[in-house]
Amino acid sequence: MPFDTGKPEMSAEEFRLLRDFVYGHCGILVRDDMKFVMQRRLWPRLEVLGLTDFSSYYRYLRFDAQRRAELETAIEALTTHETYFFREPRQLKAFSEEVLPRLERRNARTKRLRIWSAGCSSGEEAYTVAMLVKDSGRFDGWDVEVHGTDISRRVLAVARQGEYGPSALRATAPDKIARYFDHVGPTRVRVRDDIRSWVTFAHQNLQDPETGLLVSRMDAVFCRNVMIYFDTPARQRVLRHIYDKMVPGGYLLLGHSENLINLSADFELVHLRSDLVYRKPELGGGLAP
Amino acid sequence: MMEEGRNAEEARYRALLELDVSSPDAREELVAGLHDESWRVRRAAAEGLTRLPEREAVVERLVSVLGERDETGARNAAAESLSAMGEHAVGPLVRLLLHPDPDQRKFAADILGQLGRLEAEDALVRAMVEDVDLNVRVAAAEALGRMGGRVAARALERILHDPEPLLQLSALESLAALRHPPPLPEVVRLLANPTLKRSAYRVLGLIPQLAATELVCRGLGSESRSTREAALVALGTQALLSESTQRSEMDAAVRLVLRRLPQAAEWVAAALVSEDGELKAGGLVAAAALREPRLAPLVAEVAQEERLMPEVVRTLSYFGPEAGRELLSSMDRLSFPAREVAGQALVEMVDATYVPELVQMLEWGDLDLKMVAVQALGRTRSLDAVEPLSRLLSQSELCALAARALVSLAASFPTQVLQVLEDALTHGAEPAVLNALVRVGGTGMLPLVRRTAREASVPLRATAVEVLAVVDPMGGLELARQALADEAPRVRVAAVRVLGQLGDASMAGLLKRALGDETMEVRLAALDAVGECGAVERAAELEALVQHPDGAIAFRAVQSLARLGALRDEVLQRAVDHEDHEVVKAALLAGAVSAEGVSLAVELLGHPSWDVRAAAARVLGDSGGPECLPATRAALAAEMDSLARRALEDAVDRLSGR
Repeated sequence: MPFDTGKPEMSAEEFRLLRDFVYGHCGILVRDDMKFVMQRRLWPRLEVLGLTDFSSYYRYLRFDAQRRAELETAIEALTTHETYFFREPRQLKAFSEEVLPRLERRNARTKRLRIWSAGCSSGEEAYTVAMLVKDSGRFDGWDVEVHGTDISRRVLAVARQGEYGPSALRATAPDKIARYFDHVGPTRVRVRDDIRSWVTFAHQNLQDPETGLLVSRMDAVFCRNVMIYFDTPARQRVLRHIYDKMVPGGYLLLGHSENLINLSADFELVHLRSDLVYRKPELGGGLAP
Repeated sequence: MMEEGRNAEEARYRALLELDVSSPDAREELVAGLHDESWRVRRAAAEGLTRLPEREAVVERLVSVLGERDETGARNAAAESLSAMGEHAVGPLVRLLLHPDPDQRKFAADILGQLGRLEAEDALVRAMVEDVDLNVRVAAAEALGRMGGRVAARALERILHDPEPLLQLSALESLAALRHPPPLPEVVRLLANPTLKRSAYRVLGLIPQLAATELVCRGLGSESRSTREAALVALGTQALLSESTQRSEMDAAVRLVLRRLPQAAEWVAAALVSEDGELKAGGLVAAAALREPRLAPLVAEVAQEERLMPEVVRTLSYFGPEAGRELLSSMDRLSFPAREVAGQALVEMVDATYVPELVQMLEWGDLDLKMVAVQALGRTRSLDAVEPLSRLLSQSELCALAARALVSLAASFPTQVLQVLEDALTHGAEPAVLNALVRVGGTGMLPLVRRTAREASVPLRATAVEVLAVVDPMGGLELARQALADEAPRVRVAAVRVLGQLGDASMAGLLKRALGDETMEVRLAALDAVGECGAVERAAELEALVQHPDGAIAFRAVQSLARLGALRDEVLQRAVDHEDHEVVKAALLAGAVSAEGVSLAVELLGHPSWDVRAAAARVLGDSGGPECLPATRAALAAEMDSLARRALEDAVDRLSGR
């Protein structure tokens, strides 16, 4: 028989109120078919706060003196942080073999490289990007920065710590583990310092460009499996923000099931040998494809 | 593209974005853009056309572009633009369905499908049934699948008898999209056709009857992989549609079939890891029937598709303790969503024999895995779990969870648990430990709590004030009076809460001071406490706050006035004018018992916010008289929101019965 949890059910009305409230705060859209997921992920918060139903929780988020902190906790609970090193290898191959050489030529004079991992979760993607840059051997002696940003402060703490278990390494080749990680336990590893020194993490709500200001303009942006959380207007806002933060000719890499159809025509589609990526158009002069 | 070309493309793109759509030449410039070599420019032109005034003329012009046979890019861009034109495009496209060129008729059907407007339903049905060109008929059938009307569904059912398999296939897919299954015998006839089989099974899944399940089970036993997979897809759909009573019959039927198939576990495993979400859903139902422990981690991984999470949880609940061990040993390799569901399943399955593995799991680095281990240890009913949990009481991230787990274990080992909690407290533990200690030790802990309330850190002092009130109300009240003067706001908040919970109207004087506290947190707590303890003397101060711009203050003021029984009609009226919907709803509920409240509820049936309208409907259903029925019926007739409609329907039912 299925488990009897004995926990309060979330009514359709409670779901809608909570969903709209979360959306209003950060543009994250909890789809109608995710009521069960929302209910499961917020149950522990009811328990911790001593609340008996989701209406009380909604009012807590609206009116309690601790509401801001609790809203962050709720959003952390609602956004899954599924990620791992070297995820979507085809795209990473295109980045290594085709995008990085172009960026090397383009920035040869300044010897600066800036890459943004937007919605970086617990840091695996940002570190992967740094490892690919290192692996390419093209940027030794350059000023390289990889910025990871996420709305969840808890995952950022994990990212900064840089320690991971087998789940995070499930797509990482043994030679890469040997090259870029130190063992800190029987199954735990830590990203080596030379990689960590290139990567910084910061808190950012992508719907609110005022948070987590990125000082430099980015040569490449990874925004993979982030926009799935947003509806169309919110996606368009995020894309506009990313566009503004990129150098002309900079590359945008989305998740393999994502595209810009019906979202933005600001970016141009670039056909690489291994993958399709987007690029902010040049405004005059610049890099040949 | 060369650099020069890219810059020129960018210039054309920007020019279209910045084009003044009210200028006389705008339409033709945009139409020229539809013919551009760059897809970005074509897209900008298509979007620009949707912003032009005189939509009828624009639609006619776009329809003319559809006729330019050699201009594929322009035609597609025109189609994209037309599909964003809404009702204005329906008439011209319906007329285009009669064009002599079948290519244009097909375009018309495709775009009408994109528009999804019921006005086009009859015309599309005619095209599907009568057109001489098969491609047009198929396009019309597919378009009807996006339409949703009853006429479309009936017509699609009839098309299942057409001799043309491609048309039958489109009709089946459209019926599946409409979630409208034809009668069962119609589907049975098509299950044998290799071309139609997969779609026929999809439709079969929409019939939540045991007879349909039996047909699906026959498919599960097929030697053909494609038939088995089609049957699994049907099974997944059927499970999602079934009532829980039907579900157990369904599970039993599937179990009976799968047990006879030696390779079943292998192909169910393959279904669970496939890319096809529908196949995975079917794999879950089959896994629940098989209950093969090795499948448990694969089942958990299906949770990566969030819409399937309820079914994953349900499936894991059918597995036994052996599956729990499989999950335990693979926890650190699972994805995050899989760990989430596997963790809960594990917590439900554990017994005393799991303790060594769970203790080992505490050594793993990931916090979420440690949290699962802590929860699970609390349910093992094993003395061996006490010591490992006690070590976590000094870790801030896990302390509260570990303390709760120890409270659970205290049901079996109270002395040992009490000992470790006391030890932790003497070494400067978190408030959760004090809380747990009192829950386990009861009044025996009073001296310790009193001492803590005098000496400890702010969080411990605040907790001491609240927990003392639980075990010794009189002593708690006394301590709360003293704590009102504590220098830490957090302690004052705890004191105010205790005064509210345990006090009476005589607390009004003390609460007056708290209502004026320099810290907002204390003032908010005091607003609650006034209502809870019946400090009616403070009603005037609350009345002054019901219009406070901060919803947090106004909401509490309304609630407390209601608790005091002091919400005057005039104040109620002011409260329902508040900008914050929660304040309005609180006022509505508070006034529900009065005639004024009922009359306000009638007014609020026209409130712009759906939740207020729903709340007003509930108030009328509970407290309104027959005189409210006409207004409620009128509101129901005008209501567009589904949740508010449900509340109004219920209110009308109840009012009609009075």
